[in-house]
Amino acid sequence: MLTSLLILLALLGGVTLSVQSSVNGRLGGTVGVLATAWLTFVLGALISVLLVLFAQPPRDMTLLDAPRWQLTGAFFGVFYIVAMVFSVPRVGIAAATVAVITGQLAMSVLIDNFAWLGNDRIPLDPQRWGAIALLFASMALIYFGNRKRESAHAKG
Amino acid sequence: MKQILTLCVVFAAGMGLSVEAGLLGPLGERVGHMSATLCIFLVGSLLLSLALIFAPRRALPELFAQPRWMLTGGVLGPVYVVIITSVTPLLGVGTTMVAILFGQIAAGLLLDHFGVFGVARQRVDGYRLGALVLIAAALALIH
Repeated sequence: MLTSLLILLALLGGVTLSVQSSVNGRLGGTVGVLATAWLTFVLGALISVLLVLFAQPPRDMTLLDAPRWQLTGAFFGVFYIVAMVFSVPRVGIAAATVAVITGQLAMSVLIDNFAWLGNDRIPLDPQRWGAIALLFASMALIYFGNRKRESAHAKG
Repeated sequence: MKQILTLCVVFAAGMGLSVEAGLLGPLGERVGHMSATLCIFLVGSLLLSLALIFAPRRALPELFAQPRWMLTGGVLGPVYVVIITSVTPLLGVGTTMVAILFGQIAAGLLLDHFGVFGVARQRVDGYRLGALVLIAAALALIH
């Protein structure tokens, strides 16, 4: 029960990503990806300061007490933005999307399997391999779907 | 050859997104989910501000000249990060990522279909619908 609720919440997270990227896509087209990303992060920082101050129960430990390597998450997020800006014009959105998602999924099952970065261990069992196979098939579909749309754009 | 190298960079960038989620979960458990979210946006803002200062193009005046609604996409960012911070420790990184992927593709399909937010209208196509069904099956298997 709790698990389905959590999965629903994660789904919702995906929905917010999609909505955000449609709104930001327009903006990025006119002012550039860098300024768009900057605005997104600054707005996010402003809102999270408010959340920390008024919506979070006090804790014994603060960010400044945490080991510094645990604070490096944003470097990966920013690297992702830069990598996409650089590569999408070179390899096309279809291939770039599939490469990102594949990297994301590969790394996530590795982190689970080896319990890296202080996460709980979730072994890579046959069920998970099955899921990976299905995801590969879906990536192929996404690739060909995007390719078709790209070439339609090129013609139109 | 250059294309393959570029794709490797993109692949690594995707791996980085999972590392980010993998760092966030345990951090949120220790210092609070909101603080972990703040850490992402604060450090990200600082890095991007530095980049913007030295970027060749002066984009900020142009940015603030856009219609207001176009500037609101960023308010959704914290929602997303709070969600992954709190969900990842309970579901694991893999399940969380697949669930997010599903939500993303499903919402993208609908947004395109109805042409919301000024996106060019595109009817639901068989490719992405098929992909969505496969991701749903993978989600059922993975958790």
